[in-house]
Amino acid sequence: MTPREDELRSGLSAYLSRQWNTEARVETVSRIPGGASRETWRCAAMVGEEQRGLIVRLDPETSLIDTDRATEYRAMDAAHRAGVPTPEPLFLEADLRWLGRPFSITSEITGCQASADAIPDEHRETMGRRKWTLLGEIAALDPLALGLADAMPATTVETCAMEQMEYWTGVIAADEIHPNPVAEAAVRWLRRHPPPPAQKLSLVHGDYRTGNFLYTPDGEIAAILDWEMAHLGDPLEDLAWSLDPLWCWQNPERAGQLLPHAEAIRHWEAASGLKVNPAAFNWWRVFASVKGIGIWISSSEDYHNGASKQPILAMAGWLMTDRQQRILADYLSPHSTRRFYEAKA
Amino acid sequence: MIPRGSEGVRHLATRVVADLIPKAVDAYTAADLGLTTALLDMVAQDYDRAVEVLVADQDDMRALFEAALGSIDDVALAARMSAAIAARPASLRVKDQSALADIAMRVLIDLQAYAEDAEARGEAWASALNLKIWTFLDAHVARRAYDSAF
Repeated sequence: MTPREDELRSGLSAYLSRQWNTEARVETVSRIPGGASRETWRCAAMVGEEQRGLIVRLDPETSLIDTDRATEYRAMDAAHRAGVPTPEPLFLEADLRWLGRPFSITSEITGCQASADAIPDEHRETMGRRKWTLLGEIAALDPLALGLADAMPATTVETCAMEQMEYWTGVIAADEIHPNPVAEAAVRWLRRHPPPPAQKLSLVHGDYRTGNFLYTPDGEIAAILDWEMAHLGDPLEDLAWSLDPLWCWQNPERAGQLLPHAEAIRHWEAASGLKVNPAAFNWWRVFASVKGIGIWISSSEDYHNGASKQPILAMAGWLMTDRQQRILADYLSPHSTRRFYEAKA
Repeated sequence: MIPRGSEGVRHLATRVVADLIPKAVDAYTAADLGLTTALLDMVAQDYDRAVEVLVADQDDMRALFEAALGSIDDVALAARMSAAIAARPASLRVKDQSALADIAMRVLIDLQAYAEDAEARGEAWASALNLKIWTFLDAHVARRAYDSAF
């Protein structure tokens, strides 16, 4: 066990013993690959005679996404209470004395994996149906009834689109190392073509894509992860992000590497009770790529100037920026061959 | 000195895949090394093409600025375009080329916004210029594309 692992094991044992008011002994900790926005650790704790698997997410020294852990935790908690499959949220802790950084703890869901590449081909269609049905069900929730008004910035159906656009435009302006002419052209396009008001305000997951849910070996989606960019907004935002060609780069016809785009939209519409307005969807599709570039540029800036030299930050900054720019050029250039045409509603 | 830089970098990536990843002590380290290998491959591609990409971008932008200069009424923008046309890098080093390309690119961004405003007013020259700028942007994006199975 490394000194860092030993420190975590010891701090967590003390913390859990206090929280559960009984002796808890963390026996193993191992860091989970990925998770660029938080340091994620898998832990096994003995509580009396019972072994409990836990997932601990620590604020990192630097992150791909600057987010509020309380928002993430409360969004996941609300979704969990509403019956959306998520890990059970257990604790949210801001006190630095336990692990040296703020952290959250959820129960571990065992026997699953998240890798998009490892999904068995025979499960892709059914998993796709379930994936976009679940997203439709999230869109159908009433976020105010779930108590999220206190946890997230207020917005309206009229203003949520431009607020999101201005936020990510600001991230690009603040963090870009070199000028980004394609992203700038896209931002001007978004400003010139504002979408109609959202049909409703929804809980927006913010990063709903294949790779951000756990699935069982028989293809069942067991838990939706990574709620750190959750906010209130237009449910089309999540739909457009989930259908971004970046998530099916090698096979653009299969949304999220699972099923045809039109089918994904059909399942979402059936579950949400909403209809996709093509003009609005097209706006959110361009927005999704601008937001993506914002995330990738921000991670690149962190990699160049920040303390962390995690290769995943550089990967996002280099390869993802390249691909997201190619997607935007495909959407907006008058010379485009529309490689990603099928992604349209 | 490595005679062919990009090949040298790829040899490093091969070393990581063949010898270091199998010895990784845990899944996290193995994943980190896998990402590092993919990044090394992208570094190799940039090593080979960086100067050509930057010089081609600058040549294209200078040609665009020269062709558009007569249509631009905005004095400050025209002055920046003229300065970008006349500018020459201090050397062929990537750092110098990149700095100059960044200056020209900021002019290009403002020129395209200017052309879009004029196009919205129905000015035909602006539509033609905007088409040319998109031709450049398509090339700019294509020049930087990484070949990666990742």
